[in-house]
Amino acid sequence: MDNLHLDQHISQQFNTDLEELKTQLLEMGGVVEQQIIDAVKAIENADGSLAEKVLITEDEIDKREVQLDEQATMVLARRQPAASDLRMVMAVIKVTRDLERMGDEAQKIAKMAIALNEDGEAPRGYVELRHLGTSVQKMVNATLDAFARFDVNTAVQVAHDDRNVDREYKTAMRELVTYMMEDPRSISRVMNIMWALRSLERIGDHARNIAEHIIYLVKGLDVRHTPVKEIERQIQDA
Amino acid sequence: MEATVRETVEQKPERLLDRQVIDDQEAVTAAATVGKPFVEAPKMAMRNVNVFYGEKQAIFDVSMDIGSNEVVSMIGPSGCGKSTFLRALNRMNDTIEGCWIEGSLQLEGQDIYDPKLDVVPLRARVGMVFQKPNPFPKSIYDNVAYGPRIHGLVDRRADLDEVVETSLQRAGLWNEVKDRLAQPGTGLSGGQQQRLCIARTIAVSPEVILMDEPCSALDPIATAKIEELIAELSENFTIAIVTHSMQQAARVSSRTAYFHLGKLIEVNDTEKVFTNPEHELTEAYITGRFG
Amino acid sequence: MNKNTQRTIDLVNRNLAKRYRAEKRFRFYGLLSISFGLLCLVLLFTDIIGKGHSAFLQTYVALDVHFDADVLGIDNIDDETQLTVANYDGVIRKALLERFSDVRSRRDKRQLYALVSNGAGFDLQDVFRERPEQWLGKTETLWLLADDDVDTYVKSRTASGEAFTGRLSENQQRWVEALIADERIEKRFNTIFFTSGDSREPELAGIRGAIMGSLFTLMVTLVLSFPIGVAAAVYLEEYAPKNKWTDLIEVNINNLAAVPSIIFGLLGLAIFINFFEMPRSIPLVGGIVLTLMTLPTIIISSRASIKAVPPSIREAALGIGASKMQMILHHVLPLAMPGMLTGAIIGMAQALGETAPLLMIGMVAFIVDIPGGATDPATVLPVQIFLWSDSPERAFVERTSAAIMVLLAFLIVMNTLAVWLRKRLERRW
Repeated sequence: MDNLHLDQHISQQFNTDLEELKTQLLEMGGVVEQQIIDAVKAIENADGSLAEKVLITEDEIDKREVQLDEQATMVLARRQPAASDLRMVMAVIKVTRDLERMGDEAQKIAKMAIALNEDGEAPRGYVELRHLGTSVQKMVNATLDAFARFDVNTAVQVAHDDRNVDREYKTAMRELVTYMMEDPRSISRVMNIMWALRSLERIGDHARNIAEHIIYLVKGLDVRHTPVKEIERQIQDA
Repeated sequence: MEATVRETVEQKPERLLDRQVIDDQEAVTAAATVGKPFVEAPKMAMRNVNVFYGEKQAIFDVSMDIGSNEVVSMIGPSGCGKSTFLRALNRMNDTIEGCWIEGSLQLEGQDIYDPKLDVVPLRARVGMVFQKPNPFPKSIYDNVAYGPRIHGLVDRRADLDEVVETSLQRAGLWNEVKDRLAQPGTGLSGGQQQRLCIARTIAVSPEVILMDEPCSALDPIATAKIEELIAELSENFTIAIVTHSMQQAARVSSRTAYFHLGKLIEVNDTEKVFTNPEHELTEAYITGRFG
Repeated sequence: MNKNTQRTIDLVNRNLAKRYRAEKRFRFYGLLSISFGLLCLVLLFTDIIGKGHSAFLQTYVALDVHFDADVLGIDNIDDETQLTVANYDGVIRKALLERFSDVRSRRDKRQLYALVSNGAGFDLQDVFRERPEQWLGKTETLWLLADDDVDTYVKSRTASGEAFTGRLSENQQRWVEALIADERIEKRFNTIFFTSGDSREPELAGIRGAIMGSLFTLMVTLVLSFPIGVAAAVYLEEYAPKNKWTDLIEVNINNLAAVPSIIFGLLGLAIFINFFEMPRSIPLVGGIVLTLMTLPTIIISSRASIKAVPPSIREAALGIGASKMQMILHHVLPLAMPGMLTGAIIGMAQALGETAPLLMIGMVAFIVDIPGGATDPATVLPVQIFLWSDSPERAFVERTSAAIMVLLAFLIVMNTLAVWLRKRLERRW
């Protein structure tokens, strides 16, 4: 079912353990992805109750993180995995952490939605937010897809996308700062949007981290803190 | 559910490890060694070694080096030829009827299988520790003193006493047995017996120590002590160890060689082999995927 | 409870009693076999001891012997020749005639003289020559060896007066009874049996010659067969390549162990005596023949015990750099020694009991002298038993059994030695 042959161990129990890790992780990813969508939607539609829901769901993500860590520890203790199995468990631990951070960022966006509801609508920034939200959500989706299929190409694509998201974020920032200089009264409200944009950008960074973990998992290459061009070259060589 | 949805996404996944490769004997026989089989200024250099038992070929064209003062572990499934290869390194295979060896095996540039070379001094230079602890049914002292005696390494009794003491100390056994050197070596526990055998081997100051599954008959604590000992010995000796325990190979060795069906599949730094092996067969073996 | 609801444990319980019965039966068969064996052994021993124990006693007759210088024909007691050729039988006859003064006819006299053994004169000579000057002309009461017929009669006499008369005439029986009434007949421990060689006269016959013959033969056998056997076994186990030739040798060694021993005797006769013209009847040839016979046994047992030395010990020695010879001498042989010694002793015991091949090389000859070395003519214990069992005199029956007892004692000692050596030398590894 996958190119790491997680289901081909002599020990059936080991297969099940690793499958379980993967499934749990993807489920957690699904929840986080939904959180991001909901949080962005809550700001766009000024939907206070949706934002509240995001805050509540955050607890579930924390619980899932703890649970996944326990399972990964158990596999390490019981199986002493090596090679791809070891990378799989290590990747799961790291990806879980990034997913949890993404959840935190989504929570921050939801808090901004609530703040915007209380302070009143921001005069600008919604277009940028929708735009960046869509990009980031696509990235997260692609990352989870890449993990599900242990797909290196998609992971590299995500790393590429992160650069675009960073660019979009900088453009939006510049624009909003210019606007604030023109209309200082709106600063506090625009700042709320800016915080939300900042969180989206952070989520993009985490997605990129996850993509790097996937490359490590599949190729055994540690590509953290490496430019995308260099990553592509290394994958070519391996 | 999210996960199941993702798996149905249409895109042919890149296949890292094709199951067919494992089952295909020809693919194995055709495989060339990957990784880093050679080092600079090797202690022992083996090139294109073939070992035959009568009609049957046990080792196919194995080439690798063992560097000075490094611990090389050899792993692989049962019958993969790792023990045969190890025993070829000090000509222990000579005792087996119908066993012959082709290729070049050199110890510091000297051909081990040179017909003019005497096997007795060779084995003094390349010592061996066996799977089952096999102390002689003699006293602990005589066990350790046997090698120096037959090789005539020492003349005076006091010198012999010193060799016995230092050997036992290096083997980490001195404190346990110093008061009962006259008692039979067979009366020790399994782990102590194995350390006695190691002391016996290092008493003749070999350059290379070959270990053939030295811990397979020992309990985990005794195993841990032997592994600790291997780490200490590697400062002064070159060690080649065959082991069934992959964790042991990972713990004690700096390089790991993977054998499969008589072929040397991969030699690499141990860290590399256990996190990201180059060859799919190595991967399949160390992750327990042979079925 | 119907059949379907029966649990496994019920089915097991149902068969349990049957299984235990079968187990008991099985044990009983084994016990029966051992009992049968023990019974046979007890029967054999009772028979042999019952027949043989009396041979350890010998009948003596007390006579008042007058050392008359005229009868003896001695005028100078310092003359050794005179002392040697003196008529000791004469003084015994005179003593008998004095005791039974009513005997007149030559026929009766001859019967009277026959009460005392032919060997009594020689005994008398030995006793007399120790102190001739004291005894010459004196009368001494001396215990003299009785004839075997008298011996048999006395031993078979029961309280009710019935006895095996054998060749004793009415007169002789009367005389013996009279002597018994006078308490002039006595049974003493039979030292002759252990100190003299073979004789036609049962009362003079002993097994010393046969024991010495057996000893020399076995010594020759041991000295030859143990080193040769061990060397052969070491070569075959440690050095010989495994090919058709060694297979052939192995098959032949096993075959030789099963060859009837008489064949070895014929071989010895043909080669050592006919071809090399060695003398017959000597322990040296006997020992060589028995060596041929025991070699396969020793080789086979030595090979087995060499094989039993754990390969790990060999590897350990080789791994340190011992040469092959050092490995064999320092480790293999010491560890195999108990087994090899046991094999050798069992081979020796087998050789001790062997008769047939020795018959062929003439060790069956009638030899009175006790052999002093491996080249003196001799016979051996089992052959002696065979010879005596063939003799007509009634008194040889008990001597045959007694000799068997001695032989069995030797075998038991040797086998005990084998067990003891094994225990003593065995090392645990």
